[in-house]
Amino acid sequence: MVTELPWDEATGTLRRELVGGMMNPACMHALEAALQIKEHYAAKVTAITMGPPSAEEILREALALGADRGILICDRIFAGSDTYATSLILSRAIKKECPHYDLILCGSYTSDSETAQVGPQLAEELKLPAAAYIEDMEIKERTLRVRRLVDNFRETLEMEFPALVTVSLENYKPRYTKMDGLEKAFAVGDIITLTAPDLGINAGFIAANGSRTKVRKVFLRKADKANVIFQGSAANVVEDFLNQYENKISWAIGKDIEEEDLSDEE
Amino acid sequence: MQINFCMKQKLIRNSVRHIAETELAPIASEVDRDAIFPSAVINKMKQLNYFGLQIPQEFGGANFDTVSAAIVVEELSRVCAAVGLCVAVHNGVAVYPILQFGTAQQKQHYLPRLACGELIGAFSLTEANAGSDAGSVETTAIRKNDTYFINGTKIFVTNGGICDLALIFALTDSNPASPLSSVFIVESGFKGFLRGEVENLCGMRANPVASLFLEDCRVPETNLLGKNGDGLKIGLQTLENGRIGIAAQALGIAQGACEAAVKYAKERHQFRKPIASQQAIQNYIADMVTEIAAARLLLYHACALKDEGAYFGTAASMAKLYCSQVATKVTSLALQIHGGYGYSKEYDVERYFRDARVTEIYEGTSEIQKLVIARAVLSQLMF
Repeated sequence: MVTELPWDEATGTLRRELVGGMMNPACMHALEAALQIKEHYAAKVTAITMGPPSAEEILREALALGADRGILICDRIFAGSDTYATSLILSRAIKKECPHYDLILCGSYTSDSETAQVGPQLAEELKLPAAAYIEDMEIKERTLRVRRLVDNFRETLEMEFPALVTVSLENYKPRYTKMDGLEKAFAVGDIITLTAPDLGINAGFIAANGSRTKVRKVFLRKADKANVIFQGSAANVVEDFLNQYENKISWAIGKDIEEEDLSDEE
Repeated sequence: MQINFCMKQKLIRNSVRHIAETELAPIASEVDRDAIFPSAVINKMKQLNYFGLQIPQEFGGANFDTVSAAIVVEELSRVCAAVGLCVAVHNGVAVYPILQFGTAQQKQHYLPRLACGELIGAFSLTEANAGSDAGSVETTAIRKNDTYFINGTKIFVTNGGICDLALIFALTDSNPASPLSSVFIVESGFKGFLRGEVENLCGMRANPVASLFLEDCRVPETNLLGKNGDGLKIGLQTLENGRIGIAAQALGIAQGACEAAVKYAKERHQFRKPIASQQAIQNYIADMVTEIAAARLLLYHACALKDEGAYFGTAASMAKLYCSQVATKVTSLALQIHGGYGYSKEYDVERYFRDARVTEIYEGTSEIQKLVIARAVLSQLMF
């Protein structure tokens, strides 16, 4: 959750030194989807991330899980990139290092900012057909059929390769890391680092084409939490609880709690 | 010695913690209560190479350094010590001696099957009249042509109820003047290999600790580990390695109990404030984390010595002695912080308290570790 992270309220940036690095949860699902494709087709999976040098750890993890190679895009002048600049830089790296890709899989959103913009913006940069928040995929020759849940409608869409999808957290539950995979990821893992000059990007380019947005303010919304203890026999406690919270529960789960339903379940 | 963990070791810790918290945490209390070996999770772990931690990759293992292998046991034990024990014993005292003393043929035959967990290993030295005194083993192995016939009873065998392979210590010549002991690789399918009931123990209840009965058990001579008469040497070196595993396990238990206590101390309110705001509780917390940190350094020091190819036996004893004592102390303090709830099976800390206790007993009691350490000092192996 975004609110659980240590934000610097003055600068609007994340205090990265206080959080251990980890692969973004939705990206874990995207990687899993890629690895499942690799299990059925002669696919090669390249994991790409942009971040500080310590982000290499994420790429090693991707290799340990089954990716074939890793690319770390890392340069001080990329610091503070917004989603627009990030997708622009990513597109350059992809054109340079993976010109013959068929499918780009992104996590649907990051757990530290939750904009969900990088995937779709990257598709725009690369002029690709794209679908966000997909929960399932099927490949038939050069056609990709995806399923996604949007506004309570379940859609099935098709597009031709090359294409881009962002993967939701519904399916593609990430696999566990194998111990031998971890050792190999460090012993022989193929990871390269791309800097700004490698991508033909300089400070002037960043000034002209870089971030168009800036986080002005970050604040934590204070929630009032209280422990409420119901005491008495189970039957009375359940009744008291429902009397007091029925409306809130109904609101949270999006449907009414009927008394008849409850008696059925007893 | 490297104290900063490398990226690999951090990633290993995170990966093991993830599966432990996802798969083991929800069942740890139940498998302890009912003394059930969690086969379903163990089967997943087999596929993830948890049973080949230090086996070379050519035999299907992960080829981890010793610090990494210790981290795996530590993180499993932080959540479920009985599973940590299963992995520690398999890798530390069943696989290790085969790696160290096995013939090329024995390695080829057994290591790949051990690495993938097709065979789970056990180590059985202890008998009714032979524990710390490894020389007084009574099990015999009599050779007839190309077969050894083993007779005897091994007790308190960790993994005993489920092991597919056990290393058995036996006398190959019981001449009192010059007794010779040897170690045999015995498969559970060999004729004459029988198991006793699973022991009803205070802690580590999800590990099927059992007796093994060898009744004219037929073992091919090719399954003799090392040379005839190497028993004591193999046994002592194996135990030195095993102590690293048990130290890691004790450390994991202490870490788990400490984290549970800190969490509880922040949640539990008395006198209208969290008990963590009381200095008495803060003292306990400071003592716990400091001793755990010291224990961890001793353990990794022993691991690093082993990885450097240096003599690590005394360091392993010191790590095992200290980590297990810290586990006993920290689990006791953690239970104290929980107050009455700590004494209830509703909370995990009571299980940690029971599990910790045996770490001061098996793989050499605390008293034996002190004997080993003092002997090293007095014989000028150290200082």
